[in-house]
Amino acid sequence: MKRNSYLSLGASGTLALTLILFLGLLSIQFLSGQIVDSLKNKIDISAYFKIDATESQILAVKQDLEGYKLVDSVTYISRDQALADFKARHQDDQNIRDSLSQLDSNPLQASLNVKSKDPSQYVDIVKFLEANKFRSTIDKINFYENQGVIDRIQSISSGVSNWGLVVTLLVGLIAILVTFNTIRLTIYNQKQEIEIMRLVGASNWYIRGPYLAEGGLYGLFAALVALLIFYPIVYLVSGKIENFVTSVNIFSYFFHNIIQVSLLTILLGVVLGVVSSFITISKHLKI
Amino acid sequence: MSLSCIGLFAAVCERNIPAIRPSVQHKSFMIKFHNIKKIYDGSYVALDNINLEIKAGEFISIVGTSGAGKSTLLRMLTREDRPTSGEVLVEGVNLADLPDSEIPFLRRKIGTVYQDFKLLSRKTAFENVAFALEVAGEGEHDVAIDVAQILAVVGLAGKSNNFPHQMSGGEKQRLAIARAMIHRPKIILADEPTGNLDLVNSYDVVKLLEKINELGTTVVLATHDDRIVNTIKKRVVTMDKGRIVRDQQGSGKYVI
Repeated sequence: MKRNSYLSLGASGTLALTLILFLGLLSIQFLSGQIVDSLKNKIDISAYFKIDATESQILAVKQDLEGYKLVDSVTYISRDQALADFKARHQDDQNIRDSLSQLDSNPLQASLNVKSKDPSQYVDIVKFLEANKFRSTIDKINFYENQGVIDRIQSISSGVSNWGLVVTLLVGLIAILVTFNTIRLTIYNQKQEIEIMRLVGASNWYIRGPYLAEGGLYGLFAALVALLIFYPIVYLVSGKIENFVTSVNIFSYFFHNIIQVSLLTILLGVVLGVVSSFITISKHLKI
Repeated sequence: MSLSCIGLFAAVCERNIPAIRPSVQHKSFMIKFHNIKKIYDGSYVALDNINLEIKAGEFISIVGTSGAGKSTLLRMLTREDRPTSGEVLVEGVNLADLPDSEIPFLRRKIGTVYQDFKLLSRKTAFENVAFALEVAGEGEHDVAIDVAQILAVVGLAGKSNNFPHQMSGGEKQRLAIARAMIHRPKIILADEPTGNLDLVNSYDVVKLLEKINELGTTVVLATHDDRIVNTIKKRVVTMDKGRIVRDQQGSGKYVI
């Protein structure tokens, strides 16, 4: 096999590259999915009530909202609660604590925080609020508009995915060609043995077998190499991504799913190898 | 070739002997070429209207100069090639009707011997013969016994572990014959088996083929070696430019 070692490395190498690109594509899809999800969770409506609104009025509005089918949850933050939260958030800031201690009364308003099941429904919820009988007690309605950002992210993500897919397919094609060529050389080198096998009455699958196995082995080896390269890279990059977008730990995702990811990669590698081998055999092995 | 070898040979080939009588009675011919034409590239006529019948157990020599079509005709029998028109029948079965998956089984029933021996250079004598059994899926135990027997029969018992490059031309051809015989085929095709051998070795190979024939195997020998054909004194068919020009049924001599 020594004569073939560089060729075999070439075949496995290009197959490994294809698989790494494929895994990269998976990562991008996962990442963008996670980012979109976390943004979706940040969407909510906050309705701030005037200082003189009574708690019973606020709770009435809350009940109405909870009865509205598009609403998922409503959280009531009283003025006292708002002040306590504010103090807690800024406990390290001396300036703010000084200013607070100088206040006679609580300047903060009570609010209702509304979350919906579907980000696109917020407009309807706002309309509902506007029509509520206690609308006069509401000072302002804050609608954190994330939908545009989400749309942009999704279109970027699908753009990258599509291009990524094209590149992966191209590299995959090259990998198949390289494997094809490598196996073709093996067949050529063993022409004498193959001819004798045919004359002596070996069945077709007996002759094909070793070459299909060769292709499969290239694929298997490529898959292992791809995984060995991919996981360390993900580990290194994961920390940096987490700084950028919190709550998205890409490494833990791939680590927890390591069995599925590995099996998928191995399966893909072996299939690619065997398919290239089969094409070579059909073209070059006269049976 | 000692007498004990021949005796051993007979014992080993005993499966063939009962086969002769029924096949002579029930089937008229072992091999039949009917109106065979083979044209290459649309214009070169390699075989022109060949009609030939070979009975079971016959020893037939097909002679002629190079290019007469002898090898082409033999290739039809193993489905290495197909006629442009006409039928090739082996044991009554039209080879054109054989599906591709059956071809390996056909080839196991026909032993072939060639001028260039076609031995695997990286395998020993034993392994070369065993290979033919392995591809048919035989178990290891049976392989060892059969191979040892057949090597003894062709006189190569002491050379089991030698490689082809360590053997003389005559020994290599005898090894090729051993491999051809390992499946106890009903037909042996020998295409210029003595082409690379000297006179003494050629004679030995032909004698071996004659012994194989005596025990029931149909032998088709294609050759342009007149010296050996004249010693066999059996049926000789002469071919020239793709046609059969003479068919001497018995005591044939190499005559063009």
